[in-house]
Amino acid sequence: MKNIDSKTHTRGKSIYLDDIPLLQGTLFGAAFGSPIAHGIIRSLNISVAEQMPGVIKVFTAKDVTGENQIGGIIPDEPLLAEHEVDFCGMPVAFVVAQSDDAARAAVKTITIDIEPLPVITDPREAKARGELIVPPRTFSLGNVDTAWQACEYIFEGIAETNGQEHLYIETQGAYVIPQENGALKVYSSTQGPTAVQRASCRVTGLPMHLVEVEVTRLGGGFGGKEDQANTWAALCALAAHRLRKPVKYSLHRMEDMAMTGKRHPYSSDYKIGFDKDLKMVAYEATFYQNAGAAADLSPAIMERTLLHCTNSYFIPNVKATAYSCRTHLPPNTAFRGFGGPQSMFVIESAIAKAADTLGIDSAVIQKKNLIKTGDEFPFGQKAVSEAAECWKKAEQLYEVNSIREGIKDFNSKNQIYKKGLALMPVCFGISFTNTAMNQARSLVHVYFDGSVSVSTGAVEMGQGVNTKILQVAAIVFSIHPDRVKVQTTSTSRIANTSPSAASATADLNGKATYLACTRILERLKKVAAEELGVDENLIELKDEYVFVNNVQSDLDWKKLVNTAHLKRVGISEHANYATPEIYFDKAKEKGHAFSYHVYGTAVTVVTVDCLRGIYEIDAVKVVHDFGTSMNPAIDIGQIEGGIVQGIGWMTMEEIIYDKEGKLRSNALSTYKVPDIYSAPKEISIDFLQSDKDNLAIFRSKAVGEPPFMYGIGTYFALRNAIKAFNPLAHIPFNAPMTPEKTLLALYSNPQPLSKEIKRKDEEAVTSVAIN
Amino acid sequence: MAKKGSGQNQAEENYLNESRRNFFKQSSLLTALAVTPPAFLKAAEEGLDEKAAGYFEKMPLAIQINGVNHDLSVEPRTTLLDLIREQLALPGTKKGCDHGQCGACTVHVNGNRVLSCLTLAVTAEGKKVTTIEGLADGEKLHPMQEAFIKYDGFQCGYCTPGQIMSGIACIREGHANSDDEIREYMSGNICRCGAYPNIVKAIADVKKGGQTL
Repeated sequence: MKNIDSKTHTRGKSIYLDDIPLLQGTLFGAAFGSPIAHGIIRSLNISVAEQMPGVIKVFTAKDVTGENQIGGIIPDEPLLAEHEVDFCGMPVAFVVAQSDDAARAAVKTITIDIEPLPVITDPREAKARGELIVPPRTFSLGNVDTAWQACEYIFEGIAETNGQEHLYIETQGAYVIPQENGALKVYSSTQGPTAVQRASCRVTGLPMHLVEVEVTRLGGGFGGKEDQANTWAALCALAAHRLRKPVKYSLHRMEDMAMTGKRHPYSSDYKIGFDKDLKMVAYEATFYQNAGAAADLSPAIMERTLLHCTNSYFIPNVKATAYSCRTHLPPNTAFRGFGGPQSMFVIESAIAKAADTLGIDSAVIQKKNLIKTGDEFPFGQKAVSEAAECWKKAEQLYEVNSIREGIKDFNSKNQIYKKGLALMPVCFGISFTNTAMNQARSLVHVYFDGSVSVSTGAVEMGQGVNTKILQVAAIVFSIHPDRVKVQTTSTSRIANTSPSAASATADLNGKATYLACTRILERLKKVAAEELGVDENLIELKDEYVFVNNVQSDLDWKKLVNTAHLKRVGISEHANYATPEIYFDKAKEKGHAFSYHVYGTAVTVVTVDCLRGIYEIDAVKVVHDFGTSMNPAIDIGQIEGGIVQGIGWMTMEEIIYDKEGKLRSNALSTYKVPDIYSAPKEISIDFLQSDKDNLAIFRSKAVGEPPFMYGIGTYFALRNAIKAFNPLAHIPFNAPMTPEKTLLALYSNPQPLSKEIKRKDEEAVTSVAIN
Repeated sequence: MAKKGSGQNQAEENYLNESRRNFFKQSSLLTALAVTPPAFLKAAEEGLDEKAAGYFEKMPLAIQINGVNHDLSVEPRTTLLDLIREQLALPGTKKGCDHGQCGACTVHVNGNRVLSCLTLAVTAEGKKVTTIEGLADGEKLHPMQEAFIKYDGFQCGYCTPGQIMSGIACIREGHANSDDEIREYMSGNICRCGAYPNIVKAIADVKKGGQTL
């Protein structure tokens, strides 16, 4: 089934936040952000701004009627800075004016005197100074300390990944309209309507039933609008609450880039040990997460880093520790993969380091260690694995051996261009790691004209979730999809929602819709049985008709629902779904964290121009574990998009903060995301057929985040191409591999292995050098 | 507005109770500026260009948008994008970056693609502008719109109007002769969802169809 937004998207008729027709008297907001990253506010001068034409009011921390706090997991983030600023761009004042121009003009007249404090941008430095968001956490399996002795080979080093700007093409924004009796209606471009509701209530002091948050759709989210939409909505809510006028704030691109957090950069230490057959025996990793200035979602992201530290491999002895380090950058936040990609990059780096040193292909190590059904993850859950199936199918289907031979041949004949190949297995857990968030509700109304309305907590942001939810209702009722309308996401219709995140939205909201529709269906069957004078068990609804014992009756859907209504049978339902089986014991760091895992393997081939350092992605070929896809067109789109975004993170997207904590890559001119020309020339996607049961909606496994990590393969393919040009190239594991870094690596001075090992200043190195 | 030095709450009160008086105050300020150019010049000299900008005179603009002739009055600094979205209430054309870096605002001026965020509205005087809303003929979609649906050339839909306008122009310019060429000539339109493979397919399909666009 086509995406239900197809027609409005292609006609320019889809409504996003900035397209909502404005009410008369609407005021416009603009935030004044701190010009420096860390310091004590000595004085703030808003008097010129207040006098500017069109300016209604300049809000500062003392105007907050409720609590000046928007921190979700930890209350450590004021809406407006009060005594101290903690990052560049931290909102200090909020100008509300009669026009957008007037508000922005007034912002420029605000001056602030700040007594500067030291600025930390490096997570290791933050950790050394004890600046942690939450206490560190350690996941362990077996006993690494004793396991090292059983290792034939041990390798260690550092692996680093940079952040990533979400760059949803629709920027953040909110539009708040006061209602009668002190209530507020909040339109927000958010993945988390309830989070926005909570934040708006907190800063205004209103109870939740007086604040309705409504979302039609987002022009992209990718995690960036999970918690970070709160600030703008809360500012507008506060202003609308005080002024009793509609207030809108739609961020400019550069404001958005400067003021919002991004994917967390990580710096990590790894140590990996193998037996003589290259089976992984022990793995130790320490992750330093650059959380930015406030917790935001960092503790949860840190948790997922640990949950995915072994990627798709089974390792009997693991010790993984993560530190969430407070720095003076905008609070970093959710981004597709949610900490998982960062730890997967580390173990892939460890494998590449081993393979380099041993003079073998990484794939030899990867393949030998793929996790099998029944193997234990470091957090205690037993795998139901498709890892080997995906890998083997990819090898055969895409003829990896002949690709390898072809590359060898190409590289022997070309001096300036070199090709590289890498395989990237992915294993990604589906469920919110916070067990309580794995719940959803659906409100289904069947109207007596036969049309159906479905409301859920899911937010449509291009992932096609509303199409899937519509499919669920149409399938359960066996009616034409045109009869079903998926409504906007509203906290008045569906309360206490979990954000649309963790790839779990279609599962959770789809299953709640399934439950609601099934209950209505049971009641309708009863009505049909009475009408037709037959046993209820013989009734079935098929293709808009009631069937009795597989024979079509005259009773069609429309007549049936109308009859039910006349008989005063309820044809509306509100259902609650809670994911079964999952639990997590944080005291032991063990549990059944995920409903299921999604597996896959990507084969990536790249070509590097060794004169210029530029490169092309020739192909990314994937075997992906979809379960049984309920909408292949949408799911393929998710895979392709995830791959492109993952490649962006690994190659061209380079976030640069200077030492003062100021964002230098602050526009699309200085921060490059993949354009159509830099996407892989070829993307092939194969569906792994599996009959294993799973808890996904209609067995159609979650698809939002897992493909993102296929992009990691591109980094290692580039690395291999560079090595083909300069076998002794020194290539630190430091993503992204920009063309600049590629060029430096191509012509790097070869460094002996021992030097690299000495970079680590911890315990004595026990590695066996094999060169 | 509140007098200098008065408290925040006072400012708020003033607004709530005396908005009419404020209106007259501002009107008279505007009148004063209109008759005293030195005041305006001073504002500009002090670098308060945003402040000054509001006092620019408007210019007449005759423009055809989606087949409808409009006689408008616009500030010279107004971009074509803001004119289309705000003055003409055609929100199909999107503002992604406002710096000509993302392509979401692409429209056609006399059949050629332009970034409406980098085009001053007054430069389109006497010209024909087509936006995404002007492509379909009633319920009959433009072939490029049909192709984007057929090949799922979008996810969130925000860049889609710009992609479609750009795609049509790409074919008209003769820059859609191969997938590689399409990729090169579509590289100014960013799709963060990464629907690129399908966008290439859609444009290639329309090109193959050979219809006059």
